[in-house]
Formats: sequence, C-alpha cells, structure tokens
Amino acid sequence: MTLHAVLIVAALMFCIGLFGVLTRRSLVSVVLSVELMANAANINLVAFSRFGNHPWGQAMALFAIALTVAEVVVGLALVILIARTHGSTDADVPSALKG
Amino acid sequence: MIPFAVASLVLLGSGVMAVRTRDLVHAVLWLGLALVATAGIYVTMDAGFMAAIQVLLYTGGIVTLMLFAVMLARPDAEAAPNGQLRAALAVAAVFAGVVSVVLRSPDATTGAHIETQVLGAVILNQLALPFEVLSALLLVAMIGAIVLARKKDA
Amino acid sequence: MSAALLLALPIAMFALLAVCWPLRHTGRFAGMLSAAVAVACFGIAVALFASGRSELYEYPWLVRSGHVIASVGWRLDPTSASMLIVVTAVAACVQIYSLGYLSHEPPKDLGRYFAWQSLFIFAMVGLVVAPNLLQLVGCWELVGLCSYLLIGYWWRKPSAGKAAVKAVWVTRFADIGLMTGIVVLYGATGGFAWDHVLAPQVATAVAALLFVGVMGKSAQMPLHVWLPDAMEGPTPVSALLHAATMVAAGVYLVVRAWPIFHAAPDVLVVMSWVGGVTAFTAACIALVQTDIKKVLAYSTCSQLGYMIAGLGSGEMLGGYLHLTTHAFFKALLFLAAGSVIHATGTNDIREMGGLWRKAPWTAGLFGAGTLALAGIPGFAGFFSKDLLLEELFEAGRYGPLVLCLAGAGLTAFYMTRVMCLVFSGEQKERVHHAHESPFVMLAPMLFLSVPAVAAGWFAGPFAERLGLEYHFSVTPVGGIATIFALGGVGLGVARYGIGQLTWLAWPAAATFLASAPVDRLWAAAWRQGLLPFARAAGWFDRYVVDGLINLSGWVALEGGERLRLLQTGKVRDYVYAAVVGVVLLAAWGAMQ
Repeated sequence: MTLHAVLIVAALMFCIGLFGVLTRRSLVSVVLSVELMANAANINLVAFSRFGNHPWGQAMALFAIALTVAEVVVGLALVILIARTHGSTDADVPSALKG
Repeated sequence: MIPFAVASLVLLGSGVMAVRTRDLVHAVLWLGLALVATAGIYVTMDAGFMAAIQVLLYTGGIVTLMLFAVMLARPDAEAAPNGQLRAALAVAAVFAGVVSVVLRSPDATTGAHIETQVLGAVILNQLALPFEVLSALLLVAMIGAIVLARKKDA
Repeated sequence: MSAALLLALPIAMFALLAVCWPLRHTGRFAGMLSAAVAVACFGIAVALFASGRSELYEYPWLVRSGHVIASVGWRLDPTSASMLIVVTAVAACVQIYSLGYLSHEPPKDLGRYFAWQSLFIFAMVGLVVAPNLLQLVGCWELVGLCSYLLIGYWWRKPSAGKAAVKAVWVTRFADIGLMTGIVVLYGATGGFAWDHVLAPQVATAVAALLFVGVMGKSAQMPLHVWLPDAMEGPTPVSALLHAATMVAAGVYLVVRAWPIFHAAPDVLVVMSWVGGVTAFTAACIALVQTDIKKVLAYSTCSQLGYMIAGLGSGEMLGGYLHLTTHAFFKALLFLAAGSVIHATGTNDIREMGGLWRKAPWTAGLFGAGTLALAGIPGFAGFFSKDLLLEELFEAGRYGPLVLCLAGAGLTAFYMTRVMCLVFSGEQKERVHHAHESPFVMLAPMLFLSVPAVAAGWFAGPFAERLGLEYHFSVTPVGGIATIFALGGVGLGVARYGIGQLTWLAWPAAATFLASAPVDRLWAAAWRQGLLPFARAAGWFDRYVVDGLINLSGWVALEGGERLRLLQTGKVRDYVYAAVVGVVLLAAWGAMQ
C-alpha cells in the first residue's frame, strides 16, 4: 500500500460522488453524493497524516468531519424548506437565481 | 495490501451503488456502507481512532440524519437521471487531471503510526482556537437548521 | 499690532454677518458694526504706516517633499503700508457714507451689502499685503467676486445683473493672461516671488502676460468696456471698488511686480502707449456722457491710463503717486456725485442745474474734487500728474506724452462741464425739491477732501518712505500741462457756464462715441468667435465625450444582457463551472 494507491482510490471515490452530484435529480441524493466527495477528501487527509508522519492531517480530518456534519445539517434543512415551498425536491425546479 | 484492496473495493462498489440506486432509502444505506468501508481503510492506515470516530459519529450521525430527511421531505419518486454522458466526460476529465497531479508528486511507501494521545494533545494545544471556532460553527449550524426547517405557521 | 489684524477683523466681520443672519437682517446695526470695523482698520493702517515697521510672515501653504511651492501670509513694507492707508481710508469713508446713502434700502439687503463690503476689505488688504504673486492673484479674484456681487446689488434690475456678468466676463478674459503669466513665472523660477532675477525673454513674456490681466482689471483700452457698465452698482460701491481701490489693483500689481516689469523694457513701451491711448480716448468719451456716474467712470478709465502710461516710462513713483492721489479725489468725486443723485433722484446731468444753492456743501466738495482731478496747481492731482508727465518726457515717450497732455486738457474741460451743468445755471424741475445730504454722508466726503486737496504736498516724504526721491520743480512739460488744465477749465466755463462758444459740441464725434464702438466690437467678437467655438465645443462634448461615456454604459448593459444567460439558476450548471475550474487547475499544475 503506497500513498499513490490511497490517493487514487480517494480520487475515484471523489469522481463517483461528483458523478452523482451531476446526474441525480433529487436534492437529497445530491447531498448524499456530496458526502461521498467529502469522504474522499478525508481519506486524503488521513493518508497524508500517515505517510507524512504528522498528526495535523488526522486532526484536520476530524475537523472536516465536524464541518461536513454541519453542512449536512444545514443542507438537509434547506432541502426540507425547498420541499415545503416548491412541493418538490427536484434539483431543477428551483430557478430563482436564473439570470 | 489485501485488507486495503478489499476495503477499497467495498468502498468504491458501495459508492457506485449509493449514486446509482433510485430508491433513496436504499441509497442512504449504501452510503452508510461506503462510510464504514472508509473506516476500514483508516484501519489499514493504522488510524484506529479515526476509524472509530468515522463509524460512531460520522456514519451513525449522517445516515440517521439522511434517513430523517428522506422521511420528512417525503420526496416524490426521483426523476430519471439526466445528462449522464456529459457528466461522465466531465468526471473523466477531473479524474485525469487529479491523477496526473498525483502521479507527478513523490510517492511514499512507509508510514508512521500516530498516537491518539499525540492527536489529542495537538487538537487541544496548537489547534485549540480552530477547535473552539468549530464548536461555535456547529452551534450556529444547529440554530440555522432549526430556523430554516421549522414550519412558519407553527 | 500687526498686519494680521487688518486681515482678521474684516473677514471676522464678514463671517459674522454671513453666518449670523439675525444680525445681518438688522441692516442698519450690521452696517454700523461693519463701518466701525472699517474705521478700526483705518486706524491700524495709520499706526502701521507711522511705525514704519516692516513685517514678513509666510505660512507654507502648498508643500511638496520639503519644497515650499506656495505660501500665504503678509508682507508689510512702505509700498503695502501706504496702499493700506489708501484702501482702508476710502473703505471706512465709503461704509459710513453708505449708512446714509442706502438708508432707504430694506434691512436684509443692507446687511448683505455690508457683508460684501467687509469681504471686500479683507480681499483688498490680502491683495495689498500679499507676499507673493499667487496670494495676490487669489485676492485679485476675490475682489473680482466682490465687484460682481456689489455691481449686482440691485439684482432685481436686469441691467445690474447684466453689468455684473459683463464685469466678470471681461476681467476673467483678461485673467487668462494673468494666470498664464503666473504659470510661466512658476515654470521659470519654481516659485511665485516677484523679485527673482529673470532672463530678459522670460521677464518680457511674464510681464506681457501679467499686463493683459492688468488691462482687464484696470480697465485699459480695449478692455475698459465693463467699467462704465459697473456704474449700475450703488454709488458708494463705484467710489470704493470702481474708482479708488479695486481697479487700481492692476496698477498696484505693476508696482508690486516692478522688478519683473522693469526688466522688460519692451512691455513698458507698450504700457505707456496703451495708457496714453486710454487716457486720451476715455477722456474723449467722457466729454459726451450725460450720466454723471458715466462721466466719472470714463474719467477713472482715463486716469488709470495715466498711471499705466506713467509706469510705462520706467519710473515707478509717478504712477504710484497718481494711484494714491487719484484714489482720494476720485472717491470724493463719486461720493459727491452720489450726494447729487441722492438729492435730485436722477443720474442725468441735463435734468440738473443750479444745485449749489440747494446743496452748497456737496457743490464745494465736488468742486474740490474737480480741481484736484483737473490738475489745477496746488491740488493733489496736479503734483502726481506733473511728475508722471515729467517721467514720460524724460523717458522719451513723446507719443504717449502728447496723448496724456491732450487728455489733461480734456479732463479739465469735461469736469468743468459737469460742474457747470449740475451746480450752476437755472434750477430745473428736479432741483426744486432737492435737499442737502445728511451729515453721515457729508462727513466722509469732508474727510476725503483733505487728502484730495493736500496729498500732493506730502509727495516728498512719501517718496522718501519708498526709498525714492521727489523734488517739485517747474518744468516746461508741467507748464504746458497746467496751461492745458487751466485752458480746459476756462473753455468749459465759457461753453457751459456762460453759454458762449456753442460750436464746441463735436456732434459727429459725440454720436460715434456715444454708440460705444468698442462695446460693439467685443459683442461682434463674442458672436462671431466665441459662440461658434462654444457651439463646436458643445458638439464635441455632446457627441464625442458623452458618446464615449454612453458607449461604455451600452457595453456594460449589453454585456450584462449576454452574460446573464450564463446564470441558469440550476445547481448542476454551477457544479459544471467548478469542474471546469478543477480541470484548468490540474492543467496548470501539469504545465509547471
């Protein structure tokens, strides 16, 4: 197991999440896919911590977990709000930002 | 090497399933599996404490939250995914870019075990300020979520 | 006590009247306060002159990296101290006189009038004590502003407003030369001092440009056209600004910047010719005027021409002496003319006559001023004019000398004409109800009549104070001038007093001069030159400058219209944008 191997697995994970964000229609699924991408980033942090022999990487991963939880909380609250106001959780329905 | 490969395969496989499954409840469960597999990868990287946190807090918290959201929002059946070819091309481009950067960076084969005591000392000494800021952020996020999600006429 | 007090008192008075409107609206009380300040200024000026002190204070105003570009302050030396006396004396007299002359004005307007008067004293004192040309020009503009405001005092009258605007137009036009001269001076010496030694060409350029400004302010041909119109203002204003002090500022500028002008002999020649022509032509025009103030206005032009011609001889004393004596007797004449107007209610001398029985004091004072202006031996005007002509003669400027001599005769003649038409003869309709002016108007005139008669006797000590020499002597030129003056008076009495010599009327010349040919010339230049240029500039501004600005606005609007299509409002598209960013970042990393 080398650093590159871990990083490539994490990159694959990131791309899978990205694909989900780009293709899924339900906002809940989009948040879910974002979780996968954040998870890939965490894997990277832990890998750097291990192969670089430095505790800050793991500490950052812990902080990132906390951040991700906060993001999911707010994100899901927004999803619920959108579901209530638009009557749908389809990502393509809200278009108030359209120029 | 073998445990890492197994964990990676489980991770990627469950990730693909989480992204592809139309049923939201099933997708969330696949996500849970992916997060657990990530914990497995942490174990193979000698980061036991991280693995424990990943399973206890992250997986538990996130999956529970998502399931609640799915049930509260009661989404309609999700429409079919669209723009898959375009998305695949974009993702391939990103993957190629990231891998090219990874392969150009120096590799490392030996790693060191990070003691949990050291990790705790780092978080509560050098990183004390970000730690406290983070706690404030969590509080704000909680209040924000309540404000956003509560019914206006309630 | 210092010159700073002379600056501080009037500006404080002005600020008080400007800010404290209840005080200003009291009118008469505000005027008394302002007049008291003016009298105090006169006292200070006398004390400063008597002490013979020299002061120089300069506050660095514009400083760039340690180098003082411009400074403000005051310079007290014999030249400025003597001019201060002239300015404050006339100003104090005029303000006291105004209390009587304008007593029927609404209180609000009267307060405004005295606020401007105080501002004028500040500006004029600042001009006189200016330590460098920059401050002098700044105060020059400020007195110009006061002139505009005071000419337009009766602004509800359209002619007064037009006259005020015309004064600004003409003097601003001339100030283009003044400003350019200042800039050239700064370019050559890096400062605004007038006592630098300049290369001959630079001195000529600077002096010529400054002289253009002087021509405007001191109403020299052909830029004199604003001064007769400025008589639309109240008569005390004409006495102070447009006879004694402000119009003399141009002459004073030449006296101050004498080192520059002295180093430019070519400009001096031009000056003596311009002055001579002005002295003669303005005197000719004064012959046919029927408005008593217009006569005095053209007379002022003419006398300013004398000063400029005298300075053009290359000697300073004659012109400067004439400036001081003229300030006194012309202010006296204007105040007396105001008294006449106050008594009869008209400006037209043809409607007057036999006024001396109704207003003997006014008649006597006007007569004293007339004798001084005509250059009758013993009176103030005689000494200064004699010296000035003498200087012209010695410098070999015979052309201007002849013009000035002819002008001297004409001056005596037209002043005698006014005297005879107004005060002697039979009483006309208007004069029946005339009355002598109150004491508050007579007292300042009486005060002014002292220097108007006697200032010339002190020419010797005055010159000594300036570091120059003056001895009175009887010379051929002076004799000729005296003969001309006496002859002018005699002819005037014969023609208008006794009624003989009726052929002395110049009907053709009168018609021509009365139609103000120079005015029409300027009007034509304005119509044919300035207006088309302004129209072209307006077109350029509207279609090129505005076009560029509108184009940039149109580009922003249209660009926005196009770019807003990028904002689809769909989350997915924003993620795609982020993907593009990531790929570009990776590509950039691969390039490294």
